[in-house]
Amino acid sequence: MTEPVTVTINRREVSAQPGEMLIKTAQDNGVYIPRFCWHPRMNPVGMCRMCLVEIETPRGPLMVTSCTTPVSDGMTVDTTNPSVKKAQEGVLEFLLINHPLDCPVCDRAGECPLQDQTMAYGPGESRFVEEKRHFEKPIPISELVMLDRERCILCARCTRFSEEISGDPLIEFQERGNYTEVNTFPDEPFRSYFSGNTVQICPVGALTATPYRFRARPWDLTFVVSTCQHCSSGDRINLQSSQNRLLRILGLDSEPTNQGWLSDKCRFGFEYVASPARLTSPMVRDEEGELREASWGEALDYAGGALGEVISRSGGRAVAGLGGARGTNEDAYAFSKFLRSAVGTNSVDCQMDDGLDPRLLSGIVDRARIADLEGAGSILVWGPDLKEEHPTLYLRVRRAAQELGAGLVVIHPRGTGLDDRASVKVTYQPGRGGEVLSELMDGNGRMAEAREVLSNGPVVALLGRPGYGESPDLAEATAAFVRSLPDATILPLARRGNVFGALDMGLSPALLPGRAQRGTLAAQMLADRWGELPAASGRDCRRILEGLESGDIEALVLVGADPVRDVPDGGLARRAFENAGLVVAIDQFLTDSSRMADVVFPAMGFSEVEGTVTNIEGRVLKVNRLTPGPGQSRPDWAILSDLAARLGVDLGLVSAQQISQEVEELADIYRSVNWERLDWEDRDGVVVGGDLGYVPVFSQVTSVSPRSGEMALHYARTMYDDGVMMRESPSLRPLAPGSAAHLHPSDAARLGVGEGDSVDVTSVSGSLQAGVVIDPTLEPGVVYVPFNQPDTPSLGSVLGVKVSR
Amino acid sequence: MVEIRSPSVRRGWSESVRARASEIVKQYPEPRSAVMPLLYLAMAEEGYLTDNGMREVAGAVGLTPAQVRAVASFYTMYKRENPGRYLISCCTSISCMLLGSDEVLRAIEDESDVTAGETDPAELISVEHVECIGACGGAPAVTVNYELIEGMTTEKARELVRWLRTARPEAIVGAECQELFGGRRSFDWGAFDRDSALGPYPAFGPLGTVSGPAGDQEG
Ligand code: SF4
Ligand code: FES
Ligand code: FES
Repeated sequence: MTEPVTVTINRREVSAQPGEMLIKTAQDNGVYIPRFCWHPRMNPVGMCRMCLVEIETPRGPLMVTSCTTPVSDGMTVDTTNPSVKKAQEGVLEFLLINHPLDCPVCDRAGECPLQDQTMAYGPGESRFVEEKRHFEKPIPISELVMLDRERCILCARCTRFSEEISGDPLIEFQERGNYTEVNTFPDEPFRSYFSGNTVQICPVGALTATPYRFRARPWDLTFVVSTCQHCSSGDRINLQSSQNRLLRILGLDSEPTNQGWLSDKCRFGFEYVASPARLTSPMVRDEEGELREASWGEALDYAGGALGEVISRSGGRAVAGLGGARGTNEDAYAFSKFLRSAVGTNSVDCQMDDGLDPRLLSGIVDRARIADLEGAGSILVWGPDLKEEHPTLYLRVRRAAQELGAGLVVIHPRGTGLDDRASVKVTYQPGRGGEVLSELMDGNGRMAEAREVLSNGPVVALLGRPGYGESPDLAEATAAFVRSLPDATILPLARRGNVFGALDMGLSPALLPGRAQRGTLAAQMLADRWGELPAASGRDCRRILEGLESGDIEALVLVGADPVRDVPDGGLARRAFENAGLVVAIDQFLTDSSRMADVVFPAMGFSEVEGTVTNIEGRVLKVNRLTPGPGQSRPDWAILSDLAARLGVDLGLVSAQQISQEVEELADIYRSVNWERLDWEDRDGVVVGGDLGYVPVFSQVTSVSPRSGEMALHYARTMYDDGVMMRESPSLRPLAPGSAAHLHPSDAARLGVGEGDSVDVTSVSGSLQAGVVIDPTLEPGVVYVPFNQPDTPSLGSVLGVKVSR
Repeated sequence: MVEIRSPSVRRGWSESVRARASEIVKQYPEPRSAVMPLLYLAMAEEGYLTDNGMREVAGAVGLTPAQVRAVASFYTMYKRENPGRYLISCCTSISCMLLGSDEVLRAIEDESDVTAGETDPAELISVEHVECIGACGGAPAVTVNYELIEGMTTEKARELVRWLRTARPEAIVGAECQELFGGRRSFDWGAFDRDSALGPYPAFGPLGTVSGPAGDQEG
C-alpha cells in the first residue's frame, strides 16, 4: 500500500489511494457521480462523458471525466457546481438525441440507468426535432441475446466485457461514424458462455436476454439473495420472481467469488425449476412394473418396508447411498445421518466416479483460496477446461493472467479457453499424464519454460481430472509435486454444485460431518449424538455400482443424482440399476436413473429450499428460498427423516435451520456458520477452516497407450450437456454441442473423413455415432468426445477407442 | 426459436496468399498492427473486402472477425461491396471544391451515367466522391483504382470515362493516366516506368500487399 493522498471533493477532504480514479474515490466517500460507461470491474474508457466534474488547475477550473482521472494529492473537485450541472444536462441531451425513448415497451424501464440519470441530472426537454437514427430492432445476436441498436448509447461496456473479461470479443463497434453500432460479424453470432453479463451491465435496454424479454416489469419482481449451485464456485446471485415463478437471475458483485459475473449456465439454467416435467407426487412401481402416482403414506410405507426388509435380512451394509452433491449442506447432513444412523452403512458417495480422492478435495494441506489467484506470481491449471466446467474460476484465472501479470501454465489434452493467455501451454495424449508430470518435474526440454514460469511464487495450482479416462491419482501426484514450488497453494477441482459441502457433511465412505475421519475422536463425539456408527468400511460410487451389479449391495438410496447419465461408465450404472433389488430415489425429475427406481419421492430444489452450501475453497454461503416447490414436493431432509421413522429411527430433524444448528454443534469447523450472520453480516460467506492436514502422496502414474488400431480418448464435459437441468431448460437445451468426434487433421485425413462426416466411436463399454469436428488443438492420435450429450450413450472411463467410418 | 444467420460457405486463401500475409505480419511487433495492410491484401485478392477476406485477416493476426470488421467498416476506402472494374473517386474536399471538383464529379456522373456511390449494371465503372486525398496542390484530383490523376477538368474527366469504357486497360497506371488526362501537378512525380507497374491495385504496392508486375494478379 502506498501513502494515501488527500483530495477535496465538494469542499470536504477525503483520503484516497493514489492512482485510483476520481469517480471511485467520490463514490467510496458518499458522492455519486453519474456514469454510463464506467464499470468498477473493467478498465475505464471515457466514452460517455456523463461523469464530467470540475477540478482546480493552476490555469483555472477544468472539466474532466472523473472515470479516467486518477486522484492526486491536493486535488480539488466539484461535482455539483453550475458548470458541471450544465455539462451533465448537455451530455444527457446528446445521449437522448438518438435514443428512441420507447421506454413503455422496454424491459429496462424502471431499472434503467439512462432513465434514472435523466431523471436526476437531465435537462428535462430536448431541442432535437430532426429524425433519429433508425435500425432494424431488435436483432438476435445469439440464441440468448437480442440487440436493439437504436437504444444503444455506445458506452462500450458490452464490447469491453467480451474483450477484457470473458476473452471472446465476438461483438464490436461496427460502421464507426454517424452510424456506429454494436454488432457481431455477419455469420459469427455472439455465442459466448458469458453473454448474459453484457445484458446485465448494459446501461439501457439495448441488450436483452431472450429468456427474460417481456416476462415481467422490474417493479413487479420479488427477489432474494442466494448462491448458484450449477458449479462449485459459489457464485452469489439475485433470484427474481414474479407471481411465484422464477424469472431472472442476476450476478452479485461478491469479492471472494464471482465479482458480479455469471456464466450463461448460472444465469439462464433455472428454467428447469418450473418445468412441467417436475415430479409433483410420490411414485411407486406397481404390479405391472409401471411407476404410478401414490400418496406420501403409501410411498413411505413401501420404501420403508422394503428397506427395512433388506436391512433385517442382510444388514445395513447391503444398502448404499448415492448423490447429495446437488442440494444444501443441511440436506446432505440429513442423508449422511440417515444412512449411518438409520440404515447403518458407510457406503455413500456424492461423487459420480468422476472426481478426486475426497480427502484431497476437502482436506488437502495448503489449500488455496480463490482470492490467492489475485496475488499469484504464477498459476498452474491442470485439470478440466475451466471455461467449460468452472466458468467463474476461469474468469478469475484469466483476469490474473491478463490484467494482474501472473504467469500461466496450462496442461490439457486439447485447446482450452485459457490458451490465449497462457505463458506456456502443453498439450498431451490422455493416458500419458504420468510422463508429462515427470517431464514437468525434470523441467527439461519443452518443460523448461513451464518450470521457469512456475518459479515465480506464490504459485497457485488448480488441479483436477482433465478427462474421464485419466486416473484421479494424476492430480494427487501433481499436487504432491506442486508443494515443492515456491509458496504453493492448491485448489483441487470438483465441479458438482455442492460437492464440497456434501463431503463436509460426510457423503463419502471414510468421511463424517465436519471433515472428521472415521475412528477419530471427532467420530466418537459424533457417535455420542448419532448412536453407534456402522463399523464396516463403506464403498465408493464405483464399488457401490459394482456391488449392485453383483448383488453384494441390495438396495440403493438415490438423492438428486443421475448415475446413468453422470457416471463416466454409464453402462455399469445402467447394469447396476437393472440388477438392484431396491432403488429408492429422491429427485426433482424422472431421470434416466430415477426412472428405474421402485419408489420415487418428489423433491424441492434450487430456489425452493433454504440452507447453506460450501464452495470449492470451503466457503459456506447461504441459499435462499423464493418460489414454492411444485405439487407435493418436499425438502430432501424431510423425506429422509420420514423414511427413517419408517425404519423405527427418529433422526431428530425438525427444520433445515435446526439441522444447521446441529451441524454447528457437531462439526467443529462449522462452528462459525450461522444462518442469521450469513444473511446479513457475512453475505460473502465464511471460510470453514480446519483442513484434514491431508498431505498428497506422490505415486508414479503409469502411462497408458491405446492398443494398436485404437485412438486415445479424451472424454470430458462441456458447459451445456444433457444433464437433466440443462435438458429441462428450454433456452439452454439447444446449445449442447451434441455428439461429436474431434479429430486432429492428420487423423481425419488418415480416416478419409472431413468436417461433419459421421464416424463410429467404439469402446469396450459402449459405442456412438458422431459428427467429425476437425480440431488442430489435439495431438495426433487423440479423439475428443464431449461427455453426456443428447442421445449419446456413454463410452465409459476408458482411454482407448476405435474410430471408424 | 431465434434464427441466427449460419456460417456462409468458407473459401480460404491460397497458401501463397497466406504466406504473403504472414510476411506482412512479421513486419510488426504486434500481429494485430498488421490488420490494415492485410485488409488491402484481402481486397487485392478478391477485388473487394468479403466476409471471407476479413475472416482470413482475423485468422492471420489473432483477432476475431468482428474485431477486424470493426476496423474495416470505419474506413470508406475498404470496399465491402464489389465495385466495378474501374473505381473513379473524385475528391470534393475544400481545395478541390474551390477549383471546381463539383463540376468534375457532375461530368463524370453524367458521362458514365453512374451516380456517386453506385456502380453501372455492367459492373464496369463505379463512381464515388471522397474526402481529401492529399493532392490539394494538384486540385481538382481524382483517383482511378486508387491511382492519382491531378489537375482534372470537366472535359478531361469525360474523356477519361470514355477511355475506360472503350480501351478497358488491364491495369490502371497513374502516370499513364496523368499523361493522358491530367493537368497541372502538385510536384514532379518523375518519369513513368511502365515495367514497374503493379496491377490491378498498383496503389497497394508500397504496402507490400501486391507481389509481381501487372498480369501476375490475374485469375
Ligand atoms: S449495447 Fe448497451 S452496453 Fe453495449 S455499447 Fe450499447 S449501451 Fe453500451
Ligand atoms: S463514465 Fe466517465 S466517460 Fe463514461
Ligand atoms: S481537397 Fe482534394 S486532394 Fe485535398
